[in-house]
Amino acid sequence: MKDSIPLAPLQRYAWFNLIVFATTVALYVVAVPALAWYFHRTLAAAALPSLGLFGLCGIWGFGSYFFYDRRRRAIVKLDERENSIYLRAGTIGFAVSLQVFVFLCMGVWAVWSYGYHRTTIPVGFLPFLVFLAGAVVWVTQSIAILVQYKRSAADDAL
Amino acid sequence: MTPSESAQLKNRIRRLRFDHGEITQQELADRVGVARQTIIALEAGKYAPSLLLAFRLAAAFGVKTEDVFQWESE
Repeated sequence: MKDSIPLAPLQRYAWFNLIVFATTVALYVVAVPALAWYFHRTLAAAALPSLGLFGLCGIWGFGSYFFYDRRRRAIVKLDERENSIYLRAGTIGFAVSLQVFVFLCMGVWAVWSYGYHRTTIPVGFLPFLVFLAGAVVWVTQSIAILVQYKRSAADDAL
Repeated sequence: MTPSESAQLKNRIRRLRFDHGEITQQELADRVGVARQTIIALEAGKYAPSLLLAFRLAAAFGVKTEDVFQWESE
């Protein structure tokens, strides 16, 4: 008889990261028209300050608490397979993030330079790019964790 | 270890679980100190364990390592 398998701490961590990100994106999508309506601005003008909502992604820092076992009052140790899943997912996350970061850095500079004929980019782009690179790491890593768990899960878990 | 190499490593973990009083995957996982998902992956032949885990699994069943894992050369 099949039974449900409780999520491993690493899976909970990954789901938590994805839920936080999805919630933040949903709030942002709602906030842009809301701010535009409230402050009588255009959607484009409201889009930039609404980016502040992505500060909510700081909640990701609490993801580590999924590795804490209250009953044992100890950090849950990942076993050897989970460690390899975590490391592989992290490697994928950083590799994708670096590509996105470098591409955007050079892409933004190129657009700014050739499109707008300016030699410098607004300093506001820098924290945005850094955040984006971090977000790509977290989201890609979380997806990679869940995919690896799903691939190795048996259908006939008795 | 590549997936094809992993497929060559057969194990009798499920058989041994039932031979030893039908212990559950969770009980076995607790005995050897891994997650239940790891036992599931092992039984499905989708994960090749380290030598240390292989010995711990054999010890949990009170058998030799070669009674749990077999390498099938092509």
